[in-house]
Amino acid sequence: MLSKVLSIFLSIFFYFTCIALGSDYHERLLLRPLPQSALLASFNFRSNTSATSFEQQHFRYFPRSLGQILQHAGTKELHLRFSLGRWDAENWGARPWDGAREGGTGVELWAWVEAESNEEANSRWLTLTNALSGLFCASLNFIDATKTIRPVMTFQPEGHHPNSTTDNLHLLHGTLPHEVVCTENLTPFLKLLPCKGKAGISSLLDGHKLFDASWQSMAIDVRPLCEVDGSGCILEIEQTVDMVLDIDRSKRPRDNPIPRPIKPTDLECDASKPYHAHDSCYPLDKKAEVAWNLKDVFGRPIKGSCPITADRGPDSETVCINVAPEREVQIQTSGGWTESKSEDGFVRCYRIFGDSDFDLNFPSQLVDKTVPLAQPRLYAARSINGYGQERGSVQAVITNPSPVDTIDLIYLESLPWFMKPYIHTLKAAILPSTNSTPTPPIKETYYRPSLDRHRGTHLELLLTVPPVSKVILTYDFEKAILRYTEYPPDANRGFDVAPAVIRLLSPRAPRFPHSTPEALKRGTYLRTTSLLLPLPTPDFSMPYNVIILTSTVMALGFGSIFNPLVRRFVGVEEVGAAGLAGAVRLRGFLRGRVERLRARFGGKGGKGE
Amino acid sequence: MPSNPPPSPAPSIQDATNIPPKSGAVDALNKAKQPPPESNETLWTRRLVILSFWAVVICLGIPIWWKTTTVYRAVLPLQAMMDWSDGKICRPVFPLQIFIDAPFLLPADAQNLIRTTQHALDDLNDFSAHHLRLLLSEPRSTSNFSQDIVQTTSIKGLGDETHDREDIALKINLIPGQSGSVPRSELQPYESRLDVFYTPNQIPSSSSTSSPLATFIANKLQFIFAEEQASLAYLLSQSNTGQQTQIKSMSQETAASLARQSTRSFKYAPTYHLTFSLFTPTSIPTEWDIEAALKEYMQPLLASLSSISEFTVDTQLQLYATFSPSVQQPEEDPTTGTWLLRKDDLSGFVNAAEWPLSPSIGKGPTVNFVLYVPTADQAPLVVKENRGNSWLVPQWGGVVILNPPYGEKTKTPSTLTKNDLQPAMLTFSNQLLSLLGLPQSPASLPLRISTLTRVRAASLLFSASSTLGALARLTQALESIAIPDTVAHSVDQTISRLHTACTDLREGRFHSALANARIAELEAEKAFFERSMVGQVYFPEEHKVAVYLPLLGPVSVPLIMAALKEVRKLRARAQAGA
Repeated sequence: MLSKVLSIFLSIFFYFTCIALGSDYHERLLLRPLPQSALLASFNFRSNTSATSFEQQHFRYFPRSLGQILQHAGTKELHLRFSLGRWDAENWGARPWDGAREGGTGVELWAWVEAESNEEANSRWLTLTNALSGLFCASLNFIDATKTIRPVMTFQPEGHHPNSTTDNLHLLHGTLPHEVVCTENLTPFLKLLPCKGKAGISSLLDGHKLFDASWQSMAIDVRPLCEVDGSGCILEIEQTVDMVLDIDRSKRPRDNPIPRPIKPTDLECDASKPYHAHDSCYPLDKKAEVAWNLKDVFGRPIKGSCPITADRGPDSETVCINVAPEREVQIQTSGGWTESKSEDGFVRCYRIFGDSDFDLNFPSQLVDKTVPLAQPRLYAARSINGYGQERGSVQAVITNPSPVDTIDLIYLESLPWFMKPYIHTLKAAILPSTNSTPTPPIKETYYRPSLDRHRGTHLELLLTVPPVSKVILTYDFEKAILRYTEYPPDANRGFDVAPAVIRLLSPRAPRFPHSTPEALKRGTYLRTTSLLLPLPTPDFSMPYNVIILTSTVMALGFGSIFNPLVRRFVGVEEVGAAGLAGAVRLRGFLRGRVERLRARFGGKGGKGE
Repeated sequence: MPSNPPPSPAPSIQDATNIPPKSGAVDALNKAKQPPPESNETLWTRRLVILSFWAVVICLGIPIWWKTTTVYRAVLPLQAMMDWSDGKICRPVFPLQIFIDAPFLLPADAQNLIRTTQHALDDLNDFSAHHLRLLLSEPRSTSNFSQDIVQTTSIKGLGDETHDREDIALKINLIPGQSGSVPRSELQPYESRLDVFYTPNQIPSSSSTSSPLATFIANKLQFIFAEEQASLAYLLSQSNTGQQTQIKSMSQETAASLARQSTRSFKYAPTYHLTFSLFTPTSIPTEWDIEAALKEYMQPLLASLSSISEFTVDTQLQLYATFSPSVQQPEEDPTTGTWLLRKDDLSGFVNAAEWPLSPSIGKGPTVNFVLYVPTADQAPLVVKENRGNSWLVPQWGGVVILNPPYGEKTKTPSTLTKNDLQPAMLTFSNQLLSLLGLPQSPASLPLRISTLTRVRAASLLFSASSTLGALARLTQALESIAIPDTVAHSVDQTISRLHTACTDLREGRFHSALANARIAELEAEKAFFERSMVGQVYFPEEHKVAVYLPLLGPVSVPLIMAALKEVRKLRARAQAGA
């Protein structure tokens, strides 16, 4: 059963992704309602250019701005991710694209850079991050040597690189977990598309809705693809936007976004409960699926079709929905459209003609049969334990729900230099522990220790997780104390630690017959959430306080040495009246004051008695 | 109170010891006990203590404070820099070599002709910095005309030897002709060669000082180099080199047109990036045959310009790209059915916010060429005032509106062929020449390019000099900015390159002058825009003082008071002694 569900699920994604070298532009939107009135919207855009016209800088559907950056930085393959939120695997099931088009929270960038030496690769990487930073209005230029690692096992090139160049290809990977992805990153992303959000499915992408999503991930992947015989290479840019929207939340009008309580008359109560009464209610889960349409959820309908997509074949169908066969869908458009259904009826695809608005309307409906949800092959969670300003520990729990399969995976951590792990404390325990001799889950370790202020820790582990069990990975770390100027603004918030990247190695193809070679090449990935690491933070006015206090102490010391040296000491009676007059007067004045105060308070006290 | 002390001038403790009490009453009240008189030794010790504290402050404290708070200022040759910017060091001159090839003349006759022509030329020329020198070409090249061309082309690109050839401004071929009483000339459009046809009777005799042929050649040359002279004269007058007197012959209009041309053209750069973009507000056309069009209409031009600059070319096609929304929507002209754009709106036509016209990566400026295909219901789109369809954006690029052929309201084709693009490409090449600052005349492209070489060399020379002057004035005006050694090094580099460029100009090596002036300009800009020079300016001194006031205040007050007291006592003693 599981494999059947998985196969349906996977086929939806892989159905679209067989590479066709002929047409130059593809776009596809997949809408899939998820439990609890969530909606997964998965946008995919692909443009091709031939390698020769790319080299000669003749850009047609491939964006010029990005193309020139790639050429200038000698980048052969590029993957860039902007993500926000957390994928709720318990409720939403497996990730779209098997997690291969998803990034960790914030910004993640990895690329294969062609260079003769490591130094050249580093300088090209610097060029690349700086240029991309300008293009996408993101702080990518902050990916410096301390945030860059060179993963060994986790990432494989997706494109076809000729054997002659593979020796000179350097993989570099950098993350910015603190980066907040927002509208200013979406606008340049849309500008890269040939239809620019003016027509086709990209017209649905609106910053207000996209960044209001429960989870969203924008991806840009550039890779070279070649024919099998090595001739006729193309460069493909794939832009992906995946998001999970809350339908109820999206339907609220923008000028009145506060959720209102449901009227008591509209509540569906469970009358079988003993405490059910006229003034108390145990609300029932809604059985009916909520009503929604594209305009409600995205704020606007699809503005016609992007005219440069393919004329016929599955590529011309740009909007697909993944709902139960009996779910009613009303098409609202003044233009033409055609519909095609998959064999099992769970996927319906639409082709749109002309440039008139296109909207899909889903009325409220009671549906018995729900769309089967593919379950993820692995769950992972990671957290920081411990307390205090000095030490802590990290715990990662990797769960294999499968009853039969043993899963091999690669676990990649890229830690900032101020978080110093003790590798001797790295332990992996299997739960539930079996009585038979346990095989250690860690098969291989790649570890590159950090250097203060120069590079971060790079840890890669090859792990095995037996069926129906958990691997609990723990290690201790020490928190470094930063220099005064190294603290960012709002240092008391804590420091973000990049998500761990997990790549699944096995089981492979036989169990998943629908996995295309393309999907296998992409791989299956999983990312944990980012961590917030509290570091000891000083009081930032401290230096000035220290300067002032030290100065005062020094001045006091100076005075107490200097004055005895330059003054002459004589007896009181030897001082003339003139010399004492000031002191006498001051004493008299003070005494008078004290007397007056005493008289006043004494008088009051007297009254009270 | 009877015990009022007498108002003695300085009632200090020490004074009290020296001045005997005058009032017996006070004496009696206090049971006056005098402190023992101080020994000379303690007095001196105290003075030495105060002195040594001050010595530490002055000899150690102030120098350390000075040393740690001053900014490093490298020594700059300020006088030389100012002299360069005032034009006192280099007076650029442009001696142009013109070779005369006269295979059918006797050497003596030819020499005579050259002498008389040179004479006539010198009479015509009123701009002393720019003068044409006629030379008879070597006998070896007099053999055959067609062979000579082959030779020239084969020599090109051999390295240093080509310098001499490249720097020959013009070559005159004297060809005997049969007909006509007046000499006739023909300027080769793609070669720097002037063919002059003459009849034998026009050759001056050895005694005469003038002849129709000589006057003709002189006039012709003067005409050919008139614009170059004007622009060089304009350049000299713009730079404050004190040569204003030499442009008396220039009219207002010429000056204005030269000014317009210089504001329009790009600054000289060794590399230019050309970006050809097709923008359309709809989804058609989706293809354009730009590669072929560029190859046919642009490559030859770029190849001939390659002697002064490199060019990279990139192209892009953008759908759904409307022009700027700030522009008024075009109105329809009911009589002709054309759509009219107002001239005032042209400056805002380029939609900088939405059109992806980011500059190309790499050194050098980007020249943008925009081909705009209007929507079918707004075609043809023309400029209201002159019915034109193209315009130039100064120092940015050019725009051409590609309308379907007039009269037929055909739909825009989904693919633009090479032929469709031809008019636009021709306009673009004109715009490119004008953006590069190429002069309008003469009709020969190589001549115009070599003119550009000289004008650019001169303008770079002036701009580098004035940058030096600005830097000198800046460092003099702002005492608090740091001058790192790199700046000093760049300034030295600039000055030595400027010297070389100036000598090159004087000796007629214009290409090498251009190369040197370019480096000089680059170094001068580098020095002027050195980043570490500006950082210090914005750290106010009073902040440092405010932070250290808790130390400086309590320490300095007793020091000063002790010193004052001691000085006052000394003075009192001196008075008492006197």
